[in-house]
Amino acid sequence: MKVLRRALFALSLAGAIAGALRVRGKGGVPPQEGGWREVAVPPR
Amino acid sequence: MNGRDGRSTRFGLAGHGVTGGGIARRLLAAGAELVVHDPDAAALGRAQAAGAIMAGTAGVLAGAGVVVLCGPSPHAPRAASLLSAGTSVVSVADDLDDVRELLGLDVLARRVDATLLVGAAMAPGLSGLLARSLATQVHQVDELHVATHGTAGPACARQHHDSLGRTALGWHDGRWIEPPGGSGRDLVWFPEPIGAHDCYRAAVADPLLLHRAFPGVQRITARVSATRRDRLTARLPMLTPPHPAGDLGAVRVEARGAGPEGERVTVIAGASGPTAELAAAVAAAAALRLAEVGAPAGAHSLADDAVTHLDLLHHATHLGVTVQEFTGVARATHW
Repeated sequence: MKVLRRALFALSLAGAIAGALRVRGKGGVPPQEGGWREVAVPPR
Repeated sequence: MNGRDGRSTRFGLAGHGVTGGGIARRLLAAGAELVVHDPDAAALGRAQAAGAIMAGTAGVLAGAGVVVLCGPSPHAPRAASLLSAGTSVVSVADDLDDVRELLGLDVLARRVDATLLVGAAMAPGLSGLLARSLATQVHQVDELHVATHGTAGPACARQHHDSLGRTALGWHDGRWIEPPGGSGRDLVWFPEPIGAHDCYRAAVADPLLLHRAFPGVQRITARVSATRRDRLTARLPMLTPPHPAGDLGAVRVEARGAGPEGERVTVIAGASGPTAELAAAVAAAAALRLAEVGAPAGAHSLADDAVTHLDLLHHATHLGVTVQEFTGVARATHW
């Protein structure tokens, strides 16, 4: 029972840390405006 | 296909895989005489069927005017041997240690009056050409950030896999930093159809080559896209065999700096398509222009000032690269 409680505690702790990192991580989001367009590359 | 002296230039190609096949196709379409060596008899047969001359041994390539090295790394020992014979070399190597060693052949290349173009693929290669092009749009470039997605042939896929498990390289405020591979997640929006992917630091050669080409730039980073499984298994052997024909890929280069009035400027360029085709177009353009126009003796990356006269980005567009620019608000993340 003690082992089970410890395992559950460890799992919830890991979940909480992962959730915090997921929310507070610095990954950013892709730009929401604009996009890509083809450009010609003239000779120098 | 005539060289600088008006005589026909014979090209050599070591490695007729996915990328090598694309290079051979482009060189032959340009009317070049091409000698191909590959340890795989089936690959050699394909090269011969395409119109190339088979070379039974790698030593035969030394008789060519320009040789493209397109097999798995390391390229440095073979490049040294070819340079010693006075043959100019174009290498598509992207392994960081291999690229370091190739750059170390600069003295040898100068001594024998031959040229070694290092990192002539998608990244490094096209990434450097895009960086050079972007640098002309920014008054003073402070930062260069490269991100890539996708792999060419199986050798490239293995290199991508290994690079995530090794120490990465970056230039940060005037000094080299060596963060662990697989760290520094950033969500990067590549040209369509690739779209947004999480990218991470990896042991890739772009920072090394870009710092040589742009010594005044304060920050240079390079990232590769990866999944959770890629990062988790990076230090293990590849669990699944790489895709034999490569996949769709993209490169994105961001230059940040100051405009003429001191205002902050960010410009972004990229390209997408089959990774092997992008790499092949750049390598073929480099080989053709090197034979046609020539370049100063020594080892150079494609971003170097010494080879801007080759106009490789323009010529790569004629061989299948479509350059795109990002138009919109570039939202800085944490780079």
